[in-house]
Amino acid sequence: MEKQELIEKVNSVLAEEFEVEESIITPEANIKTTLQLDSLSLVDMVALIESEFGVKILPADLAKVQTFEALYDYLAERV
Amino acid sequence: MVDVVWSATETEAETGLTIASDNIFVKDSLFSEPGLIEHIAQSAAAFAGYGTFARGESPKLGYIGEIKDCIINCLPEVGSELRTHIQLVIEVGSIRLIKAEVRVGEKIAATCQMKIFLKDD
Repeated sequence: MEKQELIEKVNSVLAEEFEVEESIITPEANIKTTLQLDSLSLVDMVALIESEFGVKILPADLAKVQTFEALYDYLAERV
Repeated sequence: MVDVVWSATETEAETGLTIASDNIFVKDSLFSEPGLIEHIAQSAAAFAGYGTFARGESPKLGYIGEIKDCIINCLPEVGSELRTHIQLVIEVGSIRLIKAEVRVGEKIAATCQMKIFLKDD
């Protein structure tokens, strides 16, 4: 999957699941703040990423994936 | 409210419960909605408990963090034998997301997702 295609898919599935406008999802934005995630809905995001992209975000890596850019890069390396 | 754990692995478990007439959640000879949810929660607890027991650890205190997409198709009658399948969807930190399906014979009585928060010692 091309990186741009990956970015568009990530933005689309996250915007739909967490009911936010795609326009507010920008590369440098913080994921938790932008999607208003608490510890419980963070689990939903990890589960969604795993089911949509087949990539498991390891607990140890979760702390590093703070921005959408970091998420794109994390997935790009694994998809 | 789990009579038996039929099977358990690291990612899923199967439990059973026969609805007794004196069960606190029975009303008008039917096992009520809260009873189904509590049975699912205790099945998830038995599942988590099996895991810690298998690893030689002491069981952890668990809390229901969230109940989601709960669909109840029917209320089982007294004497019914529930067969409940618990699937671990994902575990993030100390939160487990599980999917549950409760059957009575071939009929699906209830399904739902639950987030269980396991408290570290």
